[in-house]
Amino acid sequence: MSNGIRVAALEDIPEGEGIAVDRAVTGTEDDIALLRDDDGTVWALNNTCTHAEASLAEGWVEGGYVECPLHASKFCLKSGAVQGLPATRDTLAHRVEVLDGEVYLFPGQQP
Amino acid sequence: MQSGGLAAPACGALQRPTDLNPNIDVSGLVDREGGLVDRAIFTDEQIYRQELRRVFATSWLFLAHVDQFHKPGDFFTTYMGEDPVIVTMDKTRKIRAFLNSCRHRGARVCRADFGATRNFTCTYHGWAYDLEGQLISIPNKEGYSDSFRAADWGLVEVPHVDSYHGLIFGTWNPTPESLRDSLGDMAWYMDAMLDHDPQGTVVVGGVHKWVLEGNWKLAAEQFASDWYHVNMSHASALTVLAPSGKPKDEVVHRTGRQYVDPKGHGHGFPVHPRNRFDAQTVHEWMDYAALRERLGDARVEGPLTTGHANVFPNFSYLPVNGSIRIWHPKGPDRMEVWAWTIVDESMPEHVREAQRLYNLRTFGPSGIFEQDDGENWSEVQAISHGFITNSVPLNYQMGIGSERHDDRHRGITSELYSDAAARAFYGRWRELMNTHAWHERKDNE
Repeated sequence: MSNGIRVAALEDIPEGEGIAVDRAVTGTEDDIALLRDDDGTVWALNNTCTHAEASLAEGWVEGGYVECPLHASKFCLKSGAVQGLPATRDTLAHRVEVLDGEVYLFPGQQP
Repeated sequence: MQSGGLAAPACGALQRPTDLNPNIDVSGLVDREGGLVDRAIFTDEQIYRQELRRVFATSWLFLAHVDQFHKPGDFFTTYMGEDPVIVTMDKTRKIRAFLNSCRHRGARVCRADFGATRNFTCTYHGWAYDLEGQLISIPNKEGYSDSFRAADWGLVEVPHVDSYHGLIFGTWNPTPESLRDSLGDMAWYMDAMLDHDPQGTVVVGGVHKWVLEGNWKLAAEQFASDWYHVNMSHASALTVLAPSGKPKDEVVHRTGRQYVDPKGHGHGFPVHPRNRFDAQTVHEWMDYAALRERLGDARVEGPLTTGHANVFPNFSYLPVNGSIRIWHPKGPDRMEVWAWTIVDESMPEHVREAQRLYNLRTFGPSGIFEQDDGENWSEVQAISHGFITNSVPLNYQMGIGSERHDDRHRGITSELYSDAAARAFYGRWRELMNTHAWHERKDNE
């Protein structure tokens, strides 16, 4: 767990939803969205949609993807790859580990 | 819309010419005292446009039931007159309503009937609004000048939204009388349906929606004032429902009262000490002694069960079935009926289901009573455009002079068989139609 930041309790993130972790905590350029898929797994992507000012943490999380709440572009939870318009650029994915119900974030590390 | 009216833009100016909306004096089309109505009020396009401006844009209109909203982002889309609106719960759990039309090119920003969302995004160019109606995303925003301010282009909000015992109403009037005041003594009658116990009511099932070829006032007027049609129009339904196949004399020859509201509401109800809910399971579950304690004998023996009611202009209900409905106007010749079934929250599941089925079978879209009513309204409308037909006045003279204070019911009542509440309905309609609405008044008026 070296370098991991304990950012949330797993139970704080309902399945199908997300929470944003402030860049002051992560030390990254953007806030980071912790996104919990409907199978219970947690993933992390840069929080701001690559298309417009929108928080992916407020998006719809389902089936391995997050859908932006504003204009419905989808991103792969695992890789950050964009799936369709209006966004055209991939976003950045970060490594997440869950241990004993605690969520640890590794900003800048590949999942 | 005059300058300074609804949603005047901060930059740029439009001035709609006043002759775009001609002012028709309708005082000669409704004779409230004499009980006459001119059929042009059901068919004329200009009168209809004036109704949208002066009746629907000024009155409190039914929007939804509070049980349709449980968490922020829950929404329901409906109409106020012909204006599409989104009713939603914001992040502070306040119920708000917005015009469902993007401020950019005017498309709807929510195209679902109901659901849960975080934002309302226009599918045309992608302008997006939050649950408070604020414009929060504009694709290619750099294309607008520095003077463009997103704060000026939020969704147009319905200025007043309020509820009465779970029923949510809204009005475009920026300075309305309160919802409670607008209901007046009608509230006493509504309580007989909505306030059986402290838990109030909930919605069961979805919202049924169907189209009828008829002017909206035909339906509203009947629910306000018309027990008269029951034995004739619903003869087959009454026969089918009678266990012996022959309806009892006491069912056919009922006596009762009709509430006549000065603001155009109306409510007719048979009066009998043993009035009961029609669905047997509901009847057996009801604690009539407790209801007498809470509501008083007069309401239990009258408005609690079999009756019909309309809250001006276009919200109607049937207490015995838990049916609440709105008659959405769709031009002078057409309406959309949107109907909910509500039950007491305290009802156990099997009682709720019994009431749902009973309402579905009698007053659902294919219900044995509803079918009769729709047939009548469509029949009346279908011939109304004939020139001679349209010129012959209609008779609303039953019970002229019968309106009085009785010693059991609030306000003024007439006989069960009477046109009194219809005369009040059209009297209120005429008053609003001949009054400049808030959006037509100059600042110094």
